[in-house]
Amino acid sequence: MITSDEELRIGVYVCHCGSNIAGAIDVEALTKFAEQLPHVALARHYKYMCADPGQELVKRDIVEFGLNRIVVAACSPNLHEPTFRRAAEDAGLNRFLVQIANIREQVAWVTEDKQEALEKAEAHLAAAVRRVAQHEPLQRQFVRIVPRAMVVGGGIAGIQAALTLADAGREVILVEREPSIGGHMAMFDKTFPTLDCAACILTPKMTAVKLHSNIKMLTYSTVESVEGSVGNFRVKVRRKPRYIDENLCVGCMQCIDGCVFTKAKFPNAFDQGLGLRKPVWIPFPQAVPPVPVVDPEVCLQITRGKCKQGCVEACGERNAFRFDQQEKIEEYEVGAIIVATGFQAFDPSVIPYYGYGKYPNVYTSLEVERLLNAGGPTGGKLVLRDGSTPKRVGIVHCVGSRDANYHVYCSRVCCMYALKLAHLVREKTDAEVYNCYIDIRAPGKGFEEFYNRVQNEGVRFIRGKVADVTPVAGQGTTAEGGLVMQVDDTLLGKIRQINVDMVILAVALEPRADANEVRREFGISCSAEGFFLEKHPKLAPVNTANDGVLLAGACQAAKDIPDTVAQADAAAAKALMLIDAGQIELEPNTAWVDEKMCSGCKTCIALCPYQAIRADEERKIAVIDQALCKGCGTCVAACPSGAAKQHLFADQQVNEELEGLMNYV
Amino acid sequence: MSTARKQAGAELLEQLGKSGYGKPPLGCMQCGLCAATCPLGSAMEFPPRNLLLQAASGNLDKLLESPSLWMCVACYACSKRCPRGIELTESLWPALRDAAMQRGIQPPAELQETFQNVLKYGNVLGKSPRARLDWTKSLDVRVLDLSREPRPVDVLWLVGCYPSYYPRNQVVARAFARILTQLGVAWGILGTKEKAVGECDRMFGEEGLFETLVEDNRKLFDKYDFGKLVVLDPHAYRALQNFYPRFGAWYPAQHYTTFLAEYMEQLRPLMVKPVETVVTYHDNCCVGRRCGCYDPPRELLGLISGVKLVEMAHNRDDSLCCGGGGGGMWLDAHIVAHGGQRLSDQRVREAADSGADTLAVSCPYELSRFEDAAKVTGLEGRVKVRDIIELLAEAMDLGERSVA
Ligand SMILES: Cc1cc2nc3c(=O)[nH]c(=O)nc-3n(C[C@H](O)[C@H](O)[C@H](O)COP(=O)(O)OP(=O)(O)OC[C@H]3O[C@@H](n4cnc5c(N)ncnc54)[C@H](O)[C@@H]3O)c2cc1C
Ligand code: SF4
Ligand code: SF4
Ligand code: SF4
Ligand code: SF4
Repeated sequence: MITSDEELRIGVYVCHCGSNIAGAIDVEALTKFAEQLPHVALARHYKYMCADPGQELVKRDIVEFGLNRIVVAACSPNLHEPTFRRAAEDAGLNRFLVQIANIREQVAWVTEDKQEALEKAEAHLAAAVRRVAQHEPLQRQFVRIVPRAMVVGGGIAGIQAALTLADAGREVILVEREPSIGGHMAMFDKTFPTLDCAACILTPKMTAVKLHSNIKMLTYSTVESVEGSVGNFRVKVRRKPRYIDENLCVGCMQCIDGCVFTKAKFPNAFDQGLGLRKPVWIPFPQAVPPVPVVDPEVCLQITRGKCKQGCVEACGERNAFRFDQQEKIEEYEVGAIIVATGFQAFDPSVIPYYGYGKYPNVYTSLEVERLLNAGGPTGGKLVLRDGSTPKRVGIVHCVGSRDANYHVYCSRVCCMYALKLAHLVREKTDAEVYNCYIDIRAPGKGFEEFYNRVQNEGVRFIRGKVADVTPVAGQGTTAEGGLVMQVDDTLLGKIRQINVDMVILAVALEPRADANEVRREFGISCSAEGFFLEKHPKLAPVNTANDGVLLAGACQAAKDIPDTVAQADAAAAKALMLIDAGQIELEPNTAWVDEKMCSGCKTCIALCPYQAIRADEERKIAVIDQALCKGCGTCVAACPSGAAKQHLFADQQVNEELEGLMNYV
Repeated sequence: MSTARKQAGAELLEQLGKSGYGKPPLGCMQCGLCAATCPLGSAMEFPPRNLLLQAASGNLDKLLESPSLWMCVACYACSKRCPRGIELTESLWPALRDAAMQRGIQPPAELQETFQNVLKYGNVLGKSPRARLDWTKSLDVRVLDLSREPRPVDVLWLVGCYPSYYPRNQVVARAFARILTQLGVAWGILGTKEKAVGECDRMFGEEGLFETLVEDNRKLFDKYDFGKLVVLDPHAYRALQNFYPRFGAWYPAQHYTTFLAEYMEQLRPLMVKPVETVVTYHDNCCVGRRCGCYDPPRELLGLISGVKLVEMAHNRDDSLCCGGGGGGMWLDAHIVAHGGQRLSDQRVREAADSGADTLAVSCPYELSRFEDAAKVTGLEGRVKVRDIIELLAEAMDLGERSVA
């Protein structure tokens, strides 16, 4: 270790990064420039500094030439700062005596003129050299990681991730907004391409979640706030009242029969409004937990304060009803969070020409999934609004997808589910089915085979995007049956009118309406189309920019169940890796209080956004908790006595860095 | 041979990309939405998708000789819906027509006559420029003719060809003059110096004629000191808004509906007479679909007491074209001869279906088109066609008794 009176000996390394840097900047000239900077003991350039020989070079020079500061002019510190810090440490130098000058992203890639590029690189390099001269050795600090994970969203993604973590022996808190877990998959009858019965493969997993001793399932709940950071999140969960005690309810559903409303009359959102429910209800028969909820908007006891309470009577001595239940906020500490909030189906009523919401027999695919489902509103019978069986069915692909006016992206699963629906419609009704598509996208395992199978079953395929759905002429605008789809059959080169009595719109998968609020809560970002953004599209597909927050399923991009499950397991593995590490290194750039200078005015305490500062009343000074400080610098700027300081951002360090830059611009 | 053809196609598309009229059509995915959307697509030998495909492949010979080249009425529906944001209406169609004429292929005769009229007389009707002020003869408010009395004004009103010359539209012009005066607007017109703004010519590939008009009008406008241009003709609005700026001719312009909607509060107390009628409003393609302006006309109608507003099955973005746009006014015979239907007939039927007894319009062409259509479809007694200006004037008690 160096003492302050020791002579400064700075080593400078200029990386070529193949031709990435060397192609744009004269690395030899840059190295010569470095040599004449104050305190620089040696300067070198090398093809790939990050490769082993490059690192070895640094290590050897530290030992051989007694270097006590290192500057590497290379790519963004985001990429290789840890690499060079480690190399320095291996050679016995404190790892924080290393500084990176980013001459790739900030210079080589964005500067066309070679002379200009050289001058810019010189400025960056000079800044780094002057800064590192002011660096002091720092200690690495670690905090304990809470060995527990939270999964937000109980669709197939959340279920899978929770089970994997729980089976690995870790505690999991699963938060689901709806009364039951299951998500979209629970709505389907069959799943492509194998046509497995969705319930048969999903319900065992749902039950496993409920029974698993490592999983705490919080349904009918949402995340209220997230504090802390990787390893130590403190999450507040808002729990809506069910008005029924989950521990006392046995799932007999007798209260539903007992309710004073003898007929169901309120739309069941799970059935896309096609089915009706009572004030006390359950979304679907296999719901988990099998506990009904009371809808406070329509229950007579809650809205009017008066009801015969047939439900309570039916519940009898199980005595599970609690009309005085209130909303609760519960707090949980977790080390990692998996966001698995899924997607929502595109609402086609915004496209005027498909007549959704105007003509009764124009349906969305999700509505038809419910009609086909044995547990759905028609007991699995596919019928038109008047109860009759359709004879000719049109399926419109790409509704809201691949369309500059709505979503430009391809939703990836709708071709396949449209094929599945075509098959199921034919199986159940013998109807003629017309699939109107632009391209059939069937690139998954077994997908093309399934497409071919559906073709062979006699489904008609018309290559063209449907332009209009209108009632058959003469039937007025709100006719019950008889629709015409107008489409350019691009293979025939003919504009056709196809008469059908049911139209199914293969709607896009889109980000949920509240994606932006959820994104903010978890400190993550969205890509252009609104899905949550992964850290790297190829190499870090489940991580986010916020360490410790991971992604799984259709909240990250439209995807099918196989991809969702694979991603959920990947997220679980990443979470496991994190919480199993036991401890985590803190960023060194925390703030600290110089005791001698602190006047005890407490200005900083109120300002800290992370509640990391407390007052030591005895010594009359402020104390900053190093584990909580995020290095935002607010207190440093605010302290009237100049007592709050920050590691790696001391005034002298920043000033020198600026001087370095300014001298060359 | 085939490579040469391909190259011709590629060059054409590339040229379009640089023309500044909308996005280049290179990203077409041949989905056919445009073709099946086009109100005349079924009658066209080359509906938009196929038009683009053939052009891109360089198969120009058949394409340029096909009658379907002269069937697009510039309704903008295909462009509005195209999932790849390609605006065929204002790019490929005019370019192909231009290419056809350069090969000596003649557009339908009626259309040619219109172009001749514009060239010779500066108006589509072939009337004498000196007669441009005839509509003001029976007018009871003062008209400031800037060409005689140059003076700064807030509004330079381009009266337009039909409102200047055609009796049915002259009524509307006079009503508008009275409304402007009642509102205390400082307005003026260009008198006998006014010329067509030009739009149908541009849509019909008469780029040269259009450029001349832009130049002439620019010189003319620059002589006067005015705040903004106000037009009755939606097509003129589309041209001033979307085509003129391409030639560096940028003038603040408003269609009268948007203009009057800014006077909502002043208009409200002037509505002294209820007009008891059920009205449906026809969104014209230029102000509506092309420029995305749907609310002002409805807000104006909403001012009139007694008016009940209903919507037709197709409205706003999804409105049906009257068939008169982009030169369509002079193409009915050509279109019908080649198997197309008269779009105005279909629209009037829809108006009747909506339960309205008044079909309100805000375009000079539509008045006569829909009135004819009402006759043809036998709906004359059931649906009355009126410009929003007429309805407002009636409610303000500024109507023209002799014509009503
Ligand atoms: C019509 C249709 C048919 C399909 N058919 C098939 C098929 O046959 N085969 C196939 O492989 N794929 C199919 N898919 C795709 C399939 O639906 C998805 O791959 C799958 O549902 C994605 O699962 P997920 O858990 O990511 O999202 P989701 O199923 O959407 O689940 C997300 C869960 O998170 C909950 N949630 C949302 N926000 C919050 C919040 N803020 N807090 C707490 N909880 C929240 C939701 O309530 C929901 O339970 C189909 C899709 C559609 C639209
Ligand atoms: S309190 Fe009355 S309305 Fe409410 S669930 Fe019970 S029986 Fe139904
Ligand atoms: S998957 Fe098929 S239907 Fe869905 S958007 Fe892509 S191409 Fe269209
Ligand atoms: S709608 Fe657009 S993408 Fe589709 S065929 Fe027409 S121009 Fe091409
Ligand atoms: S602008 Fe209208 S008429 Fe012309 S091709 Fe497009 S849809 Fe058809």
